[in-house]
Amino acid sequence: MTSPERRPAQVRPAAARPQDEQPEADRARPVRASRDPSRRGTPLADTLTYLVLIGAAALTLAPFVLSFMTAFKSPLQFASEPSLSLPNPLTTENFVRLFSGDYSFVSPIAVTAQVVAVVGVGQLVFSIMAAYAFAKLRFAGRDALFWVYLATLMIPQVVIVIPLYVMMVQTGMRNTFWALVLPFMFGSPYAVFLLREHFRGIPDDLIDAARIDGAGDWRILWQIVAPLSRGIISTLAIITVVSHWNNFMWPLIITTGRDWQVITVATANLQSQYNANWTLVMAATTVAMAPLLVLFAIFQRTIVSSISLTGFK
Amino acid sequence: MPNSRAQRSSRSLRHARLASLLLAPSLFGLSAFLLLPILVVIWLSLNRWDLLGPMRFVGLANYADVLTDPTFGNSMWRTVIFVVSVIPLQSALGLFMAVLLTRGLPASGLFRVIYVIPWICAPLALGVVWKWILAPYDGALNNLLGVSVEWLSNPALAMPAVAGVTIWSQVGYTTLFFMAGLAGIPDQLVEAAQLDGADGWQVFWQIKVPLLGPTLFFVLVTGVISAFQAFDQIYALTPNGGPQGTTDVIASRIYLEAFQGGFNLGRASVMALVLFVILVVVTVVQQRFFAERITYDLT
Repeated sequence: MTSPERRPAQVRPAAARPQDEQPEADRARPVRASRDPSRRGTPLADTLTYLVLIGAAALTLAPFVLSFMTAFKSPLQFASEPSLSLPNPLTTENFVRLFSGDYSFVSPIAVTAQVVAVVGVGQLVFSIMAAYAFAKLRFAGRDALFWVYLATLMIPQVVIVIPLYVMMVQTGMRNTFWALVLPFMFGSPYAVFLLREHFRGIPDDLIDAARIDGAGDWRILWQIVAPLSRGIISTLAIITVVSHWNNFMWPLIITTGRDWQVITVATANLQSQYNANWTLVMAATTVAMAPLLVLFAIFQRTIVSSISLTGFK
Repeated sequence: MPNSRAQRSSRSLRHARLASLLLAPSLFGLSAFLLLPILVVIWLSLNRWDLLGPMRFVGLANYADVLTDPTFGNSMWRTVIFVVSVIPLQSALGLFMAVLLTRGLPASGLFRVIYVIPWICAPLALGVVWKWILAPYDGALNNLLGVSVEWLSNPALAMPAVAGVTIWSQVGYTTLFFMAGLAGIPDQLVEAAQLDGADGWQVFWQIKVPLLGPTLFFVLVTGVISAFQAFDQIYALTPNGGPQGTTDVIASRIYLEAFQGGFNLGRASVMALVLFVILVVVTVVQQRFFAERITYDLT
């Protein structure tokens, strides 16, 4: 209150930074540690290990490579040559067909991207708010309420799609954008749980210091607590993007026709309509998977460590 | 302490007011889209309704109907087969790969990343890719083997194929957890056992595996729970319950019953609740079973 120009940001770095970055680094290091000098591996054992590792990698990657190759082949070549043959000539005609005319994958991509954006931002903002309340505020019934949040983690999606569907029909929201995002955008109990754990580690002194400097609760939350939790928040952002880009059952049930078709539903429909046209269908699966594969290529270290950190949903 | 009671109570009032603001959105979402649906699904299970005509209260008739229905019995059976074929194999392979990756060989990190790739992709899209690979005439697998096996439409092969694809897409994910678990085992324990003359095999089974209890628990619980709900890849590979209903797992049955077979919402709701109860029981039983075994302390 006395000196508004003294920003709470000044208190930030030294005190809590290490704690923020610690968990991921801790987990990743021992696992990735290269050649342990005390290891008693024989050359034979090492060779066998590599053979298995390479075999498994080939098995993991083969379906991707085969489907990408097929997506770039002409239907003619696909019909006349074995699956392992390289695309010759390399053609983009499947993708051109996919994005033009009848099938138009433009709209499904746009719809999915909007769903992911709205759900992602909503889930993060509202989960951060709830987690702050559970971690840093004292109010009656806090622990009981948190227990309710935890208990809802046990509710599987398959169990609630029928009542949710009925609710959407009754409120006239079936086959709308709102039906796609509303059930998910108000935060996830899981995100609240993870963020609360993290917020609890942020020292109260830091928050009190900021308050003495005149920062309100809202500002403390978004300018001190949230930036200090960048690691876990970006992990949660990735989890949300991945699981909602890939979401299938709910959009399949709640949308009909083209208007609000998401990419997974569009891919499934394309496959059942053009069963024999595998070059076109593999172009569709390529498009459905490509954005996340690119995301993975960029953030692979964060993603891999966040999976073992969080159990990924 | 000069901090008066009045000061403290004004703080707690401020906290309560702020908390209700901060919690409002998520509490609304939780109540409207998680808790309310549970009440609605219970109510639906007690009624006969196809969404169009009037709703008719039938008490427990849907339960009697579903629980004596051979189609539902088949679904339960297929689900059990699916879970039992996927989980042990997936966990064993995951542990095996984790052991290989923690031997400290160069490039282990690269392999680890490769194995996780299927996990990042939509199960639906992977299912469609595998549907082509396993297609009888122009599929990649038959093409490579020079045969024309009906992998997905032969009732004897459909379930193994669906389970195989699921295992393929999840082993890498399981591996990550076992790697973290193995990394958490203190070196002194292993070295002490080696000094006592234990060979690699004994160290693995008698030191490492018991110490992996918590990891194993996590992998099994989350694995079983998600396997019970498997839908996307099964829908892509073998729609409509597969050949002769051999891949008509519970999630697929609920979907077909509710949305593809004339909106039998009452019956589908009963099935959903049966699945819910099973999942709760599985969680509790696994917790009990492992509670006795995870007493090893890692400090």
